[in-house]
Amino acid sequence: MENVLDVNGLKKFYGSLEALKGIDFQVGKGEVFALIGPNGAGKTTALRIVATLLSPSDGKVTFLNHDLKKNPDKFRENISYLPEEAGAYRNLKGTDYLKFMARFYSGSEDKEKEFLERAQAIAGLGERLKEKVGTYSKGMVRKLLLARALMTRPALAILDEPTSGLDVINSLEVREIIKRFAREGISVLLSSHNMLEIEFLSDRVALIDQGRILDQGTSRELKDKYQAPNLEIVFRSALQ
Amino acid sequence: MNKFTNLLAKEIRELITKQLIFSLVFTFVLFYFIGQIAKSEARRAAAPQKIAALDLDGSDVSRNLLQSLATKSYKRAAVYLIEPAPGKTREAAVEALRKSSTNFLLVIPAGFGESVARFEAKPVETFTFMKSFSIAASRNSAVFTAVLSYLNSIMSDEYLKQKIAGIAPENLKNPIKSKDFVIIKDRMEEGSASDITGFVFSQSFFIPIILMMIIIYSAQMVISAIAMEKQNKTLETLLTVPIRRTSIVTAKMLAAGLVGLLSAAIYMLGFRFYMGGLMGNMAARSDMSQIIRKLGLTMDAKAYIILGVSLFFAILCALAMATILGVLAEDFRSAQSLVMPMVFLVLIPYLISFIADFRTLSLPIKIIVLAIPFSHPFLAVQNIMLGNYQSVLLGILYMLVVFVILVVAAARIFSTDKVLTMKLRWGRKKVVL
Repeated sequence: MENVLDVNGLKKFYGSLEALKGIDFQVGKGEVFALIGPNGAGKTTALRIVATLLSPSDGKVTFLNHDLKKNPDKFRENISYLPEEAGAYRNLKGTDYLKFMARFYSGSEDKEKEFLERAQAIAGLGERLKEKVGTYSKGMVRKLLLARALMTRPALAILDEPTSGLDVINSLEVREIIKRFAREGISVLLSSHNMLEIEFLSDRVALIDQGRILDQGTSRELKDKYQAPNLEIVFRSALQ
Repeated sequence: MNKFTNLLAKEIRELITKQLIFSLVFTFVLFYFIGQIAKSEARRAAAPQKIAALDLDGSDVSRNLLQSLATKSYKRAAVYLIEPAPGKTREAAVEALRKSSTNFLLVIPAGFGESVARFEAKPVETFTFMKSFSIAASRNSAVFTAVLSYLNSIMSDEYLKQKIAGIAPENLKNPIKSKDFVIIKDRMEEGSASDITGFVFSQSFFIPIILMMIIIYSAQMVISAIAMEKQNKTLETLLTVPIRRTSIVTAKMLAAGLVGLLSAAIYMLGFRFYMGGLMGNMAARSDMSQIIRKLGLTMDAKAYIILGVSLFFAILCALAMATILGVLAEDFRSAQSLVMPMVFLVLIPYLISFIADFRTLSLPIKIIVLAIPFSHPFLAVQNIMLGNYQSVLLGILYMLVVFVILVVAAARIFSTDKVLTMKLRWGRKKVVL
């Protein structure tokens, strides 16, 4: 499988704190790759580096053969990032927010229209998109943001806890959407605490703890290797 | 719509909220309303003062005095309206006037004329009915001072005419006359220095207020804009879209500058109505306007352009400084605290422009004032009036250098992790996460 993202020896320091201690992983085209680990393991830091928000202290990150340090703009043109605690501009209507974001990627009115139609279909918010974001529930905002992240059909979608704060029904819907887009060829790099979600969504998984990747592979491979019935037990065994 | 215009439009829409519009309209209406009240109060205060007179003496002297008081005029308008006091006694007159609109009672005691004839002082009695303590009402306190000064002048002139015939009493009382001249640079005009200072102050004192408001408003806008991005968790997403970080910084600064200017303009328009009400009659002195013009103290188009350029660079410095401070804010509330250092930096030159002469300040204070970039438009007002254009241009140059340094620093912060990791927590040292 052709890799869209290559991460090699990635390190990140916050002052004297080493948040990432040289991690390696790859994401293939149309693949859903997940980072799972406890709070403070370094998942969000890794995602933020790939999303060009943070600069790596050491190591190499390449995306479609572009080096992150040398050409972050190429990353930004082809990725979309959904942070764990993201919001949208409260004074804008849902459609205006989507239009605002679409214009950074579209380049033409036709393309903008195409993005908007796709976003409206993903969000499934109907007439509520004509209302201000400030009036939305948490679940509605999350769907709007997911629609924003996927409407451009990015080469790589970076999703940090995509179902964070959502109820069961909304979570199921969001997972279905991610799965559908992955089937259509979009690569996904995601992180989550929810092992069931990871098992359902991911093609491959990396177990991360204290800035190191403990192990990685498909869910099946990992469960076989650790002779565990699910990823939660896999993770506990890997830690031991 | 290109990416930058898209971003700029969003920034402006985010800043122009219903709350801002309400606050601007409310303040404007409030200033206008107070200005109108002040104007009508001032008009009332400038109208002839009604004075009730109780002449218990009834002599020729007392009658003549009241007659001359009634005929005193300024620019063909009566100064006092003398009316007979109600009642025959002082107590009755006071009681009757308590509930009337007349605020002044002058009582000339019995035997006043005879005392005057013997050159003996027999005090007249004055009563001022204080019915409020407003600024307009405070003018009442000066009425009897002026009345007595006028009456004394008439009486003393009369005495001198009787005792020293053939010499004008005015020449005896004020034997030294003066012709006052004011020199500004190479221009000289006849006029009183205190009158000119007062007039120039009345005409230009609002300029520093405009400068202060525009600078503080713009700074507050940009700090709030960045803090709101952080509070609403939109900054991270914005930083990953394909647009240069310098464009993000520039759009925020430009939007804040434009909305800050608009807000300040609306506030100032309201403020002019307010001050116009309080000081309306000062501007009407055309004789003074001519002297001011001849002395070159007026602000012509060139002067306003130079002042505008100076203000523009001060705003740029404020926006760049505010952008850096905005990054330190965690949310909207902490952004309000971070505006305070900038308010102080603007207040220092603002207050100095009112209360002190910059040239007479000690060297260390001069250096501090000059180091604050916002000082320069404040100093520019006086320097332009006095023709010191070189100082103004040096100030503009200094602000340009400061702006370049600040904007490079701001762009650098936005291009690195610092935009997300820099935080200022009160009570602790700066913490980098």
